[in-house]
Amino acid sequence: MKKLFIPIFILATAVSYGQEFEKNLTTARSAYNSGNLNDARFAMEQMLRDLDMAIGKEILKILPTKLGDRNFNEKDDNVTGSAMGVGSGLFVHRSYGEAAKSGDIEIINNSPMITSINAILALPFVGNSSDGSQKVVKVQGYKAVLNRNENSETGKAGYSLQVPLNNTLVVFNLLEASESEITQLANSIPLSKIQQMAQ
Amino acid sequence: MFGNKKNNNQGGSQNPNDPNFNSGRGGNNPSNTSGGGLVTTPPDVKQNLDDAESSYKSSGYNEARYSLQQAMLGVELEIGNQILKSLPETVTGLKKDTEADQVASMGWGWSGLMIQRDYTDGKDKMFGITIANNAVWLSAVNMYLSGGYGQTTGGDQNWKQIKVKGYRAIIEYDDSSGYKVSVPIGQSSLIVYEGVNFASEQEMMTASNVIDIDSIKTKLGEQ
Repeated sequence: MKKLFIPIFILATAVSYGQEFEKNLTTARSAYNSGNLNDARFAMEQMLRDLDMAIGKEILKILPTKLGDRNFNEKDDNVTGSAMGVGSGLFVHRSYGEAAKSGDIEIINNSPMITSINAILALPFVGNSSDGSQKVVKVQGYKAVLNRNENSETGKAGYSLQVPLNNTLVVFNLLEASESEITQLANSIPLSKIQQMAQ
Repeated sequence: MFGNKKNNNQGGSQNPNDPNFNSGRGGNNPSNTSGGGLVTTPPDVKQNLDDAESSYKSSGYNEARYSLQQAMLGVELEIGNQILKSLPETVTGLKKDTEADQVASMGWGWSGLMIQRDYTDGKDKMFGITIANNAVWLSAVNMYLSGGYGQTTGGDQNWKQIKVKGYRAIIEYDDSSGYKVSVPIGQSSLIVYEGVNFASEQEMMTASNVIDIDSIKTKLGEQ
């Protein structure tokens, strides 16, 4: 019964998003045709949000469901679409594992962080810090910034990998991991497909 | 053959995002002396909505998003042009400079809409209006208005709080750039008036009060 319920729920959600898009499109068209530009713009913003939600759900489908020994937490899957504000647009989040041995992947469109990460990547002598807490690496051919963060209580290290893909930022965090572990697991994130879908 | 090639890049930037971008090709390369510029027709809103719909139906979501952004850009440019049309022909004797009229939009909600109009006497006196939605500017002005910043009576007081048509605003004066009045309106918009070679604060205020802020606010869809 449970197995049957899940596909029905997913289908119903997809249909409702489709209906929202169609509804907002009708509103945008009629408002524009009657010269009501502000209502047309508002309806289009809603459509952008609907589209970002649809794109986010497609991206979730291609993200790995397991990272090493960490399984993904389905309940934590999160997609947000927003047409306004800083970091506007798509936001996708998936978490893995539990507590101290957890990790997550975030995909953020138009993140304000992108400019500073690109600046780090453009200047190699800035990118590699002398204490080894930050370095520039390559993942699947993409340049990325790898940061090492040590937990002051446990003394164990965690890593954060930031990969800018034009206006999309992919952030991969892993607690209690080694550098080789995070760079190896990062290869299971389909960066090129994400770039294609999120642009 | 390439031995004489020199780098004539002095003064130009090699950053492609810089307005002064110069790719560094110099020397014997020809200079551009003709060309019709770019076509500045705003995007066709109806066509882009049709494109967005068909891309959406075939699950081409990012293509649909691109078309939708173009449609939004078209709508925003139309709104900007409507606002420009609603502005007066003259302000305290200064005539509008149609060539300086400008509407720019990023096609991302209101985050990048900017409308500009200048009024001049044909010599050195100018009254400029900029209507913008820009969170960075707005937070700076709102900080003045709500952050408890006081006003001094002595020294070099170069800004103070005022009201323009009932709206709280800031007036600033600078010897090199003249007067500037910033009026935040609604949730996220800002109107800036600039007065160059205005004789007094009173003259600047008279010019600022000519503009119908309520009408601009309504056209921007602000509350």
